[in-house]
Amino acid sequence: MKVLSFQQLPYRHLPNDFASKYDSIVTTPYFDLVDPKLMHQDHNHFLDEMLHAARCGFDGVGTTEHGQASYDILPNPNMQMAALAYATQSEGLTTALACLGRALGKTREPLRIAEEYSVIDQISGGRMIAGFPISLSWDSNLNAGIAPIDTRPRFAENIALIDKAMKSKESFAWNGRFNKYSNVNIWPRPVQPSMPVWSPAVGNPNTLAGILDRDQVFLYFSWFGPKLTGRVFDRYWDMAEERGRDRNPYRLAFLQCVAVAETDEEAHRVYGPHVKAAFNTGLGSIPMSSLSIPGYMDINGVEHVVKDPGDFGMFPIMRTASYEQIVDAQACIVGGVDTVAEQLIELVKERRIGNLLLMVQHGSMPTELTKQNISLLAEKVMPRLRAAWQDAGFADENWEHKWWPTGLPK
Amino acid sequence: MSNTTNTTGPQRDKLVSVWNDQIKMRVRIAGNGPPLVYFHPAAGLYWDAFVDGLARDYTVYAPELPGTTPGDAYAIYKVDEYSDLILIYEEVLRKLGLKGAVAVGQSMGGMIACDLAAAYPDLFSKLVCLAPSGLWRDDAPPAVAELYSSAPEKIPSFVFHDPSLPGAQAMFALPENPAEIPKAIAQNVWTLGCAGKWMWPFPEHGLRGRLYRITAPTLVLWGKQDRLMPAALAGEFEAGIGNCQVKLFDDCGHVLQIEKLDQALADVRGFLG
Repeated sequence: MKVLSFQQLPYRHLPNDFASKYDSIVTTPYFDLVDPKLMHQDHNHFLDEMLHAARCGFDGVGTTEHGQASYDILPNPNMQMAALAYATQSEGLTTALACLGRALGKTREPLRIAEEYSVIDQISGGRMIAGFPISLSWDSNLNAGIAPIDTRPRFAENIALIDKAMKSKESFAWNGRFNKYSNVNIWPRPVQPSMPVWSPAVGNPNTLAGILDRDQVFLYFSWFGPKLTGRVFDRYWDMAEERGRDRNPYRLAFLQCVAVAETDEEAHRVYGPHVKAAFNTGLGSIPMSSLSIPGYMDINGVEHVVKDPGDFGMFPIMRTASYEQIVDAQACIVGGVDTVAEQLIELVKERRIGNLLLMVQHGSMPTELTKQNISLLAEKVMPRLRAAWQDAGFADENWEHKWWPTGLPK
Repeated sequence: MSNTTNTTGPQRDKLVSVWNDQIKMRVRIAGNGPPLVYFHPAAGLYWDAFVDGLARDYTVYAPELPGTTPGDAYAIYKVDEYSDLILIYEEVLRKLGLKGAVAVGQSMGGMIACDLAAAYPDLFSKLVCLAPSGLWRDDAPPAVAELYSSAPEKIPSFVFHDPSLPGAQAMFALPENPAEIPKAIAQNVWTLGCAGKWMWPFPEHGLRGRLYRITAPTLVLWGKQDRLMPAALAGEFEAGIGNCQVKLFDDCGHVLQIEKLDQALADVRGFLG
């Protein structure tokens, strides 16, 4: 199996009363909340920590894209990915670079994303994993001004254009609804003939169908509490069979928040306040109504969600959730090495996870504690995960990982 | 919106095939007098007491925005551009033989009616716009994105000055049968989504530059406490349209035809003669 270290880039110094006064997206007042020296520091700590994870032996490092947000200040994560591509290359590290990714329902410049991914693939010698989310409603609609009902059609056109732009041997013209180009011929093309694509989704059947039909990896972010949303994976594997795909665990990437220490007691003590702040002030401070602005979700999808909002897990209470609620729902696994390893192994086996992303920094967590979390995960948890993968029999089934970077041509 | 007020409602429907037969546009009809076309707002066709009142004097034709007719949700995907939408409405009215009719439009419907009147100056004999969208002012920006991203429980106070009015409560009432609620909510949300194609992030498609083409005598009504389309925009319509009178209502939000039903009906009747 593959184990990746994942981070968002929150501002780590929000006031204690943030969740009761502000939203974490769109309207968050920058100058009232930010100390420029600390913002500068957070950006560099983020890169330090990602590089630390690469040095510790994680198979990959990953990020997401969000604009106008205090909980994930990565309006273009390719900038950080380019820095990490060069830093890892210069140290001879073979870490995969997972940009998860660039929001294609949001962008008006899909070719620029194709070019940027290609540049990172060149700098890194073919270590890029391309993430293509549709994008969250508030980001594409409120931040970028895309009409909600155009979000998915824009995604569909953009992903087709990027795929063709990366792979086409010849230049071509593109006459789409959202993009019109007389001559598409991006320079550079990626190193990899077919860059692996991982597509984040929350479990909407229409989105899962598209991911399976395009033969991509389904990337699930378990922030809503995997204990509450397990049915998404039954749905996914059932749909895979229905659509003629195999049950290859590498088709699934699963992100899990983790915070590990030597003992449970120590873990709760040192990480607890940061984990609680992360959920309350980050995802929890996103207004529910901005996740699905009218038109963003298909009419049948709205009816389904109104009947059964279970896929959203604990999201509706996340702004005021207690630390115990967060841990009980497994939105973050916090504990000693044994506790963390055992809970992760159970998830891997139950859900058939071939790619496990461990989110290692939470809210206000300072850099030394983040690096400690990363080190302990690499030293003591990762070996047990790999052993469990063997025990589960997945290794014996000899699944081919068709969605992992291939590196430079041999 | 579900219609639970004591209104007569539409008496018959007509499906009009338009846009090279790709769209079957449903037109709801009531009354027996001379023709009046009613253009509904972004929330969809809600047959309220105001429309009922119009139908006492006129034959009201109320076309539904493509995609908002129950059972035909994906018709919206047949319309790419706002300019195409105007052509589609013109085709509907032409096929119904409604040239010379009176036009009444509310909010988004007011914008569509204005654009039709600007594109086809002979199409309407008179034009009535209730808090129409279509214009922007930096000091009076329409708050469409704010409305669309509001929690559902906040919407009544967003569009009504007094959301406790029975008419306001009725407009947001959901079906009594719980089993019907998810479908009703999905329909309401989707209707806003379809309108969002032209209303997002705010409805500004260059109408200001076209207002001068409107030759039909025009009445613009507006609530002074309109939080969605600020009443300051009324003066822009008055300045842009050659023959335009404006009336503002005190203690009134965006949905003035419910909040000031009697006055609005009286003013419209007075204007139409």
